[in-house]
Amino acid sequence: MIQVLNLLLGGVFHAAALFLVAAGLQLVFGVQKILNLACGSFYALGAYAGITAVKAALAAGVPAPLFVVVLLAAGVALGVLGPPIERLLRTIYDRDEAFQLLLTFALVLMLEDVMRFVWGAAPYQLGGVYLLYGQVRFGAVSIPVYNFVVIAAGLAIAVGMGVLLTRSRFGAIVRATAENRGMAQALGVNMTRVSSRVFTLGLVLGTVGGALVIPAGAAVNEMGIELIVEAFAVVVIGGLGSMRGAVVGSLIVGVLKAVAIAVYPEAEMLAVYVIVIAVLLLRPAGLFARATA
Amino acid sequence: MIGRVVLAGVLVTAAAVPWLGRDYYATLMLPFFAYSVALLGLNLMFGTAGLLSFGHALFLAVGGYTAAYLGNTLRVRSLEVMLATAMVVAVLVALPVGWLCVRYVRIYFGMLTLAFGMLFYSFLYKFYALTGGDEGIPVARPTLLGHGFVELDKTGYLVGPYYYYSLAVCVLAAIAMWRIVGSPLGLSLRAIRENADKAAYVGVRVRRYRFYAFVIAAVFGAAGGVLLVVPTGLAAPTLAYWTHSGNLVFMLLLGGFGHFFGPVLGAFVFIFLQDQVMSVTEYWRFVFGVVLAAIVIFLPQGLMSLLTRTVDA
Amino acid sequence: MRTTRRDFLKISGATAVASAIARLHTTPAFAQAGPVKIGVLAAKAGVTAPVGESGLRGTQWAVDRINAAGGILGRKIELVVEEESNPKDTVERFRKLVLQAKVDVVTGVISTGVGLAIGPAAEEEKRLLLMWDGTTQKGVEETIPKPRYAFRSVDNEAEAVMASILTARHFKGKIKTVAGINNDYSYGRDNWAAFLAIMKKHGMNVTSVAELWPKLGETNFTSHVATLQQAKPDLIFCSFWSGDAPILLKQAHAAGLTAGTKLVMTTAGGVHEQLKKAFAPEGMILGYNSLYFEDPKASALSKEFTRWHQEKFKEWPNYESDHGYFTVVAYKAAVEKAAKAGGGKWPTVEQVAEALEGIEVESLSGKRGYRADHIMEATYFQGLSTHKNKHDFVTLDSVEAMSTKQIQKPSGMGLYDWINSWNV
Repeated sequence: MIQVLNLLLGGVFHAAALFLVAAGLQLVFGVQKILNLACGSFYALGAYAGITAVKAALAAGVPAPLFVVVLLAAGVALGVLGPPIERLLRTIYDRDEAFQLLLTFALVLMLEDVMRFVWGAAPYQLGGVYLLYGQVRFGAVSIPVYNFVVIAAGLAIAVGMGVLLTRSRFGAIVRATAENRGMAQALGVNMTRVSSRVFTLGLVLGTVGGALVIPAGAAVNEMGIELIVEAFAVVVIGGLGSMRGAVVGSLIVGVLKAVAIAVYPEAEMLAVYVIVIAVLLLRPAGLFARATA
Repeated sequence: MIGRVVLAGVLVTAAAVPWLGRDYYATLMLPFFAYSVALLGLNLMFGTAGLLSFGHALFLAVGGYTAAYLGNTLRVRSLEVMLATAMVVAVLVALPVGWLCVRYVRIYFGMLTLAFGMLFYSFLYKFYALTGGDEGIPVARPTLLGHGFVELDKTGYLVGPYYYYSLAVCVLAAIAMWRIVGSPLGLSLRAIRENADKAAYVGVRVRRYRFYAFVIAAVFGAAGGVLLVVPTGLAAPTLAYWTHSGNLVFMLLLGGFGHFFGPVLGAFVFIFLQDQVMSVTEYWRFVFGVVLAAIVIFLPQGLMSLLTRTVDA
Repeated sequence: MRTTRRDFLKISGATAVASAIARLHTTPAFAQAGPVKIGVLAAKAGVTAPVGESGLRGTQWAVDRINAAGGILGRKIELVVEEESNPKDTVERFRKLVLQAKVDVVTGVISTGVGLAIGPAAEEEKRLLLMWDGTTQKGVEETIPKPRYAFRSVDNEAEAVMASILTARHFKGKIKTVAGINNDYSYGRDNWAAFLAIMKKHGMNVTSVAELWPKLGETNFTSHVATLQQAKPDLIFCSFWSGDAPILLKQAHAAGLTAGTKLVMTTAGGVHEQLKKAFAPEGMILGYNSLYFEDPKASALSKEFTRWHQEKFKEWPNYESDHGYFTVVAYKAAVEKAAKAGGGKWPTVEQVAEALEGIEVESLSGKRGYRADHIMEATYFQGLSTHKNKHDFVTLDSVEAMSTKQIQKPSGMGLYDWINSWNV
């Protein structure tokens, strides 16, 4: 029983990490109809910058247990990149979606080399920081408390996004814009400001996600490019533009992959795609798709 | 008229390249021919029908692996047989994939095609007994119209008979595509691109014609894939990776997707630009990202628009 | 005696001519031919990038030293570096090196797929190719059965063979169940298969309770660790060589897996500085391929390199530097050997290739060379890990050195036939 829970928890942990990549993607698409191929790159950027920030903080004497705060701060601080990148994307707003997709692909190429230039190609990690919060023991199984921190963070962000979108004024404007851009503009919504803020929020979701998850792993070259594939699977399953879809999609991918690893390890590499195709055959637009074509 | 003269000039120049004494640059023309064939198909899908595929490399891989399998495992060395078989296999693969993908449009189509491309990549990796896994399948030197040219070494073969064969295939592919674009199918596809609803209203079977475009593009892609793997001598899973598809779209956009010869120009510039930049800096991906961004923002009609503009002016 | 002006001119003229003639005889005759060009295909991006960087460092150090000592027969070496990426692009870069830059020899190459494309290309272009890495079973048996110009690295299962021998030695009678977690490609599969075969040969009587195949580039192993915990193996065998090795150890340690389970990491020594003491246990069999940076028996050459590497890059070197160093030095030695045999003329490509067969040179790991079948002979280092050092990462408690003569299958023999032929 413990083992099953342990397996499930592993799947949920992976789902939380996936959600953090996909949430930004969903938000930006839902509102601005831009499919941001660079969402994986933002996640990677958060990971690299988070590690640097924590190392600097620890060297400067910041007490070690506060490293989570440092990671969050690093992720949020990267938000300064939001407005200029959005400004770049805005130049082709009215064009065919294909151009936006290609511009984000150009971003992927640029960001990959920027990260390689700044941090080098060798794996970059935070050592034992992951274990600082200790472990929870269930018999023979230990689960690092930090895993729960990541899962909690994913949950908090999902809930937070939900609250933001449904309860706040900003959220109302965002949803209105997503539903009918022209009408929202006619009603006096400042498109420029909304676009900039939404994109920045989407970027920060990615960078914070990358920063939060990285203590459990290591930042490696081209991790942004690798992540896109699973992020896309999540989004296709959950439905483009839906935050709920991102949550459910991540859970499905995370848990089913964990099950595949436990039950039929040879299928690990293919598991994600099988899930995608199965969902598509059953529900072509994804599980929580919007009415957009 | 000017267009015809330019075209003739380009063909003559292309035919003359092997004689200019720079073997390396002559070998670089080979992926150019291969990509041109594949891009003619991609251009049909995107430039004409408005479907942007981010998984077209799948069909290049299909072509490449078919050629490799025929030559290495079945010991069939004829390039004609390889091309024909690759095109048939491409149709077989495109039928289910296309059926599933054309139910979607625009962004969804792009995402789905990306997913399928990566699925094929994983398949190539996993089923290593059949595909060689990460080691790939070697591609034997094919015979051209029955001739083995065994007296030539690989470079001589590539820069000589294989070069002209590739050029011929490229020209034939262009002629075939020209016919398709000018046919009722091509016109319908253009109508669909302009306004799918209106086209449907007028009686055009939108989804079916998109499907045809997909399958035709797959066939051209596979033919290009066959030509692509012969100089390398190996068919490897990286052929199907999504960034390879991204590069194809890059080439398409660089040249100009509205124009018939746009993608050909795009392939040429991409290949030679990549060659020059790679030797200068290891951060060539950054340079390419900047180039792509610049094209998308400032020159969305591609380089071809510059040329036609100068001609008109 | 009075020296007339005419005499003076005659004498100084004669002296001038004499010294000019003398200078002609001592000038290396080849210096006028220009530099020797060595092309290098080094990975710059992706998961192999750190390995490519390491190989390039060893190459650069070798070239700098050789040039400082006068070059190869008086000709300085010029490096022409191109990027190793995927097979198609790398073959094109190879052609550029050979046809455009007209290099005399090409070194580099780490990835298996790329090696399988470049090897035949080198044979076709009749150009010397000294590969750093990437040799697989298939590569050795199939693509070029009798290479003339292509020289390959050590078989990729050698690390697993050595680790398996050490496993049998240290853990015989102590393990009943094993589990494997290896990357899902030829290297991972070949290593795991070799391990199982050797366990059987040594009569270890172990059963495999889990076989996991994460793809190369995977960065999250929580599910894998959970599965391994459920399977409860006595020993876990892992052939990770890149960033995934420290990640797996970190997550395994956090879950309590490393405490009770024996570990064998065949190649993680390549990323040894990433294996922090905080999560890497003591007593695991850890492989460093052909370079262990703190080998007490290291040669003066090796120590000098290690010192230089640490000062310049603030990092300790790994095995690929040795591969990079060796290929350059072997080439030089072969050219000199062939030139001597050919009466002092600069040798042809074929003559150098022949001279390389059976050659032995001093590399960063000791004596190293090529067999007649163009496969490398080298020394590999593995041992049990320890925390007793002055670093923040694990090192080896005692270093075991084995030659490829013990851990690499001999020419003409299949791996499993060779394993079966052992006297255990």
